[in-house]
Amino acid sequence: MNKFIRVNMTNKEVSIGKVPEKYAALGGRALTSNFVNDEVKPTCHPLGKYNKLIIAPGLLSGTSAPNSGRLSVGAKSPLTGTIKESNTGGTSSQQLAKMGIKAIVIEGMPEEDKFYVIKITMDEVVIEDAPKEILGGCGNYKAIEILQKKYGEKVGIALAGPAGEYRMPSANISFKDPESHIRSAGRGGLGAVMGSKKVKAIVIDDTGAKPVPIAEPDKFKAAAKVFAKALLDHPVAGQGLAAYGTDVLVNIINEAGGLPAENFKGGRIEHNDNISGETMNATITERGGEGKISHGCHPGCIMRCSQWYTDKSGKYITSGFEYETIWGLGADASIKDLDEIAYIDRAMDDVGVDSIETAVAVATAMEGGLIPWGDGKKVLEIVKDMAKPTPLARIIAGGCETVGKVCGLFRVPTVKGQAIPAYDPRSIKGIGLTYATTPMGADHTAGYCISGNILKVGADIDPLKKEGQIEYARAMQIGTAAVDSTGMCLFVYFGIADNPGGYQALIDMINAQYGISLTANDVDQLGISVLKVEREFNKKAGFTNAHDRLPEFMEYEPLPPHNQVWDFTPEEVDEVFKF
Amino acid sequence: MIKNKQIELRGFLQLDAFLRKSFGKPPYFIPADSPLTGRELANNLSIPVEEIEVIFINGFVHELDAVINPGDRVAFLPPGCPGPYRIALGFYGKNQDNPANFKIKKKEDKI
Repeated sequence: MNKFIRVNMTNKEVSIGKVPEKYAALGGRALTSNFVNDEVKPTCHPLGKYNKLIIAPGLLSGTSAPNSGRLSVGAKSPLTGTIKESNTGGTSSQQLAKMGIKAIVIEGMPEEDKFYVIKITMDEVVIEDAPKEILGGCGNYKAIEILQKKYGEKVGIALAGPAGEYRMPSANISFKDPESHIRSAGRGGLGAVMGSKKVKAIVIDDTGAKPVPIAEPDKFKAAAKVFAKALLDHPVAGQGLAAYGTDVLVNIINEAGGLPAENFKGGRIEHNDNISGETMNATITERGGEGKISHGCHPGCIMRCSQWYTDKSGKYITSGFEYETIWGLGADASIKDLDEIAYIDRAMDDVGVDSIETAVAVATAMEGGLIPWGDGKKVLEIVKDMAKPTPLARIIAGGCETVGKVCGLFRVPTVKGQAIPAYDPRSIKGIGLTYATTPMGADHTAGYCISGNILKVGADIDPLKKEGQIEYARAMQIGTAAVDSTGMCLFVYFGIADNPGGYQALIDMINAQYGISLTANDVDQLGISVLKVEREFNKKAGFTNAHDRLPEFMEYEPLPPHNQVWDFTPEEVDEVFKF
Repeated sequence: MIKNKQIELRGFLQLDAFLRKSFGKPPYFIPADSPLTGRELANNLSIPVEEIEVIFINGFVHELDAVINPGDRVAFLPPGCPGPYRIALGFYGKNQDNPANFKIKKKEDKI
């Protein structure tokens, strides 16, 4: 990957240059975060002209490495005010890597109120007027259809949906997947940054692209084989994710008493059977038709944790129907019907909002009296209204913290302005330390992966006790930052944590691709450096340790059924980033 | 509602469908006069122990041979729970001696 593309939306100038030396060895999150720290004014307004949006495939993207098709998007977040990396599946990462594109940077801002499409081919980058039909509230599903008709069925597409056009803080960037459905760089409002630059869509035409060059093909092939086996031999891939999707976690986290319910008032629900992964699997199987229990979100995915969920007649409603979305609407907002949740999930994809932020904002709005508890029909109406948008739709798409302020609440489950996801930190304490300290704002995926053998840090963790949790949260964030830089899906975690051969194979693939000789220690150092860079940006943007705190109500409201409070002291929390 | 002479039981992943076949909709209330281990409970219900990675007892992860008392809430969890929750919930202190872990079964071997 030797091209570094800059698109200046102020003067519509495009430059296709060589990759700057300092970014040559970086990919994915390592590249986006270093770039944002280098070039984005930390105190800038995220929706102003000084913010920059960068899109980068991972180090292994475009190769035959299993599960390497994730794409990183970075900028200063309009939701949190921090640095942000949000990543996604879809087809674009593999396409960009095969085209030799290391990164696309979108900077500046047009003076005119007019939206554009950036079209990228092997030969050129062109800025065109956006087709009128995809503007002013057109849903993402329809917009993809229109853009494919105009630019070709096989093009990759990134979209600022209606929520992005209206620069809502929950707006995501939607990416076309292999079947022209939608995957999202969900968290942190990066769709609003794209919308602020008046870029409605990026179209990627990889006609003429060559396979990604591999320095040592035989070594690469051998390592990829070992890596694939490490993933597929593990029960998580073989019988967990592929059969039940991430929604398998509803029953498990509910049983553990860590499933936040009714705006984080409880840790367990009674209607878990309505919304569990097991029920989803049985429903898709029973309905038949277009339903698929297992599906890959990007080319080269072998774990296939996605699925196609259908209506009663077997017609497709939504895919990538994730645990966090189902938890947010099903437990936190108490919507007890999985079909209603599926239609809301589809609507969120269609308008282009983060399903976690929106679901938690909805639950907070229910506590604030704006929406009746459990009213799925009303929630669907509000999400659809984000395409207009109505004032209530704007408030919800403003994110959980905005809703909390509008409703005058103190029970607002956010860290650095971002909604806490589906694992209550009072009964799963290690996750709480990650929510508190990650530079991203509350984010479960910031502490999702580990480099090397898990037993070194996690053999005896008790979810309710403090012992070992600081080391756990630190190791997980370092490992995640490194894996996020490879273009790998974070679900490779179990294949590298439980199988030392799998971890070595991951390093061997990188070495074989680039003809280098990284060690496990180098990979750890990469993760550490990414976190330090992100932390540095946040510090320059005005963030201190005082922002690394969970919501105060969690310190004095015990969470049933274990009746635990958040009891880490500020000094203990601050230990996580002492490395 | 769980009574003192009963165990409130659930099964997750493929054990959800397995238990539904015998008992219908969960949860199941299994008569129990005295303490027994997870392994004994599984054997009593003809649940293959190689399908169980860990068990939940009253919301906490335990090894298969942990003791269950009448009145407890229990869930059987097969290998296959994804994510860092395997660490955060304490699986790794409980599953290391269990041969059910870290291996995938052939399709025909599955229940």
